[in-house]
Amino acid sequence: MNARTWRFYLCGFALLLVFDTIVQVSFKLTGAHAFPPQASGAWVSRIIGQPWIYVALIGYVGNFFTWMSLLKHAPIGPAFAASHLDVVSVMLASAWLFHDALTPMRLLGAGVIMMGITCLAFAESRTHGGQDKLAQAHGPLGAPADD
Amino acid sequence: MSPLVATLWLVNVTLDTGGQLAFKAAAGDPRAGDGLARWRYMASRPWLWLGLLAYALHLLTWIAFLSLVELSQGMLLASINIVAIMLGGRVLFREALTPLRIAGILLVSTGVAIVGASG
Repeated sequence: MNARTWRFYLCGFALLLVFDTIVQVSFKLTGAHAFPPQASGAWVSRIIGQPWIYVALIGYVGNFFTWMSLLKHAPIGPAFAASHLDVVSVMLASAWLFHDALTPMRLLGAGVIMMGITCLAFAESRTHGGQDKLAQAHGPLGAPADD
Repeated sequence: MSPLVATLWLVNVTLDTGGQLAFKAAAGDPRAGDGLARWRYMASRPWLWLGLLAYALHLLTWIAFLSLVELSQGMLLASINIVAIMLGGRVLFREALTPLRIAGILLVSTGVAIVGASG
């Protein structure tokens, strides 16, 4: 892989993480503005009546196109792992923006989850048809998102 | 984790996994053909619509869930979706569970349990 290809992947995955983070932060803000959650039309109205849900949806679109461009050539294992780094980027963003506590247990949990994702990434690299699995397993909302 | 948060988390995992498996059932149907005919075939079958419905509901439960937990905690807990989808793929589509995948599933589950247990 030459330097240009590396740069393409690095920029692509960085962009993916930025979109993922924007989407999840926007969902959090949507929930906060529509609080309290209720199984009612009034709650859904509060959701669609404020801007953050639309920021999240725009982020989804950006995320989708970035992901599809990357998947065209990116090796499947590293792509799987990199796409799930959003757990870390969102955690850092929420510590910064919402002052979430990064407790030792939470950091330990995140570390073990990332180890698991690394194993799955290697498993995808070795399995035929990994691309289908990758597309399925990506993100909390399935489309390049949670997910 | 309060009962409401735990319920939302479970519903959320179920909808995400159900949606993904429904999309897989729609996209993986060998009778679907190619091109526009493939989309027509998928639209005439329930799986695509079930997947979209599950996704729409999932969006709402995810927002409700995030409004009750910290975002960092919510993201970590949602990692269990990866495990649920892999197990669903195993049961419904007989996808292989290699030792490396099993190790990954166990590690992700352990990490989620640590985050869940720590509140």
